[in-house]
Amino acid sequence: MDTQFLVSLTLIVATFGLYIGIAIFNTAKKTSDFYVADRGVPPVFNGMAIGADWMSAASFIGMAGTVMLLGYDGLAYIMGWTGGYLLLTFLLAPQLRKYGRYTVPEFIGDRYKNDTARLIAAVATIIISFTYSVGQLSGSGVVIGRLLEVNTAIGTLIGVVLIAFYSALGGMKGITWTQVAQYVVLITAYVIPVIFMAMQLTSSPLPWLSYGEVVSEFSALDQELGISEYLVPFTEGSKWQFIALMFTLMAGTAGLPHVITRFFTVATMKAARWSGAWALVFIGILYLSAPAYAAFSRFILMTQVAGSQINNLPAWTQSWVDTGELSVADSNGDGTLQWSELVISGDIVVMATPEIANLGIFVIGLMAAGAMAAALSTAGGLMITISAALSHDIYYRSINPHATDRKRLAVGRWSIVIATVVAGLIALNPPGAITQIVAWAFALASGTFFPALVLGVWWRRANGPGVVAGLLVGLTVTLSYIFLAKFGGVTVLGIIDTGAGIFGAAAGFLANIVVSLMTKPPTQQTIDEVTDLRYPEQLKYENGEVWVNKKAE
Amino acid sequence: MQKIDKKTADAYFRTRTTLIIIYLAIGFCVSYGVVLFAEPLSSITFLNMPLHYYMGAQGAVLTFIFLLFVNAIVSDFVDKKFGLLDLDKEDKEENVVNK
Repeated sequence: MDTQFLVSLTLIVATFGLYIGIAIFNTAKKTSDFYVADRGVPPVFNGMAIGADWMSAASFIGMAGTVMLLGYDGLAYIMGWTGGYLLLTFLLAPQLRKYGRYTVPEFIGDRYKNDTARLIAAVATIIISFTYSVGQLSGSGVVIGRLLEVNTAIGTLIGVVLIAFYSALGGMKGITWTQVAQYVVLITAYVIPVIFMAMQLTSSPLPWLSYGEVVSEFSALDQELGISEYLVPFTEGSKWQFIALMFTLMAGTAGLPHVITRFFTVATMKAARWSGAWALVFIGILYLSAPAYAAFSRFILMTQVAGSQINNLPAWTQSWVDTGELSVADSNGDGTLQWSELVISGDIVVMATPEIANLGIFVIGLMAAGAMAAALSTAGGLMITISAALSHDIYYRSINPHATDRKRLAVGRWSIVIATVVAGLIALNPPGAITQIVAWAFALASGTFFPALVLGVWWRRANGPGVVAGLLVGLTVTLSYIFLAKFGGVTVLGIIDTGAGIFGAAAGFLANIVVSLMTKPPTQQTIDEVTDLRYPEQLKYENGEVWVNKKAE
Repeated sequence: MQKIDKKTADAYFRTRTTLIIIYLAIGFCVSYGVVLFAEPLSSITFLNMPLHYYMGAQGAVLTFIFLLFVNAIVSDFVDKKFGLLDLDKEDKEENVVNK
């Protein structure tokens, strides 16, 4: 334990040092070399930074476990979280880039010329990012709990302190190269163990091509044991739940404020397209590996853990039982652990893999550093989005327009600290698995921002009253459906809480369209502004004519 | 500033929009389409996995990545065809991202 603890801690501290070092180095360079410092980074690296921002503790820790526990039905997460980049890059990112604002509430307020809409959007941003950060904190709790061999709840508390400190330092988010480093750390940590597992179980170094063998082997076992089969579709929920969840995750991705903000910082619409493409390559590496993790872990659990003597379980099981994430109980008292007597939390699959495959202390430490990179980079982005919505969109633009910079910064800092602590308290007793909590954030984003942004960019007739109605109706429908399905037992077509976004989005679109058509059309100036989004930034639309715009930036 | 025929600009918009509709339709088929027909597709095997599982775990994601790159490359080509790349030739930075 002691050696392991030291190695893990050293790796985490070393990677932290690396991120902070890169941040300081870049700041220093900027001051000394002010005029060329802003020349930017190529889309490939911007893609990596988007990847680090995007891949959260839920993706890193929870994804593979979700696929392992749900079988085919878990793949809705894989397709949903990657497919969202199609909607984002094709329908929104380049146009939002051309419109040129810095936050999503700001875009909505200015495009629809409506202050109420901006305020609602700011509140929705806070709710969504807050829900998402609960998932991040409970993820870092799993990592820290395992590392220090303490209960997950204490791990969460330590994570809260770390993340509040890291985010309040500020500026971190803006520095692309720090996130590039975080991406490299997290993807290396994610891919190495799965490659070793592939070599041990399938004697091929390419898990992506070889895990099919393992899958077909344990599918035969499934049939023998007569348990719910891994490959058979819709065993965990209806087909409509699968589709609703997949839609919710796709539309939610395209509407998540902290992801969209990333595309506001690219230089051109062309760069937005290329950054989106590269981002999905780097994100794809993780999502293509997750089902391989799931397959290998399930194979080992079925063949090496289940069926062994209860007194003679592999050594790694004990440390996970201690964290409360794994439970092995010989409930029928026959001295042997049956598959059905094994209760595993999906959140530990990835973290336990290096121990299961006996990969040694260095890889375990790397894994902890990777998971922390994933949780930190996303939580940092979320906290900064929350503080921007509070200090800029709400405090500065609505409450106190005469606030000084210092005062706004103070409001921002305090909102980060308070948001992290409150999110941490909720994460102590998480209302669901990490992946599920995160799915609620996506449901809210797809019910509110997705319709508002898509109509804002693509439908010139959409107006202020329309978007206010759309946001409120979308938010109400999504929240009500989550509560009804989770606590009231009311479902439609077998769609549960995680698929709520499909109803929210439909209601949001409908309300926006109906109310827009019933009220006055937007002013000619607004219509011209939206028409302008049809053309690349080299062109400018004005009074029915198109001009070449020399100053494209 | 120099003026451009609105018809040319609208042709640009139509070309881009048509392409995007095609990409989204393909993306829709490999994800939602496969899910809708998961049961019949499960009898086909690919890389030791039933096709519906393979598409969910790998096929759809690879198609999405492919579509995004096709879009990026084709869009550059469309920009060139409409003479838009020449407009900012002197701007060597157009391919980089501000930070």
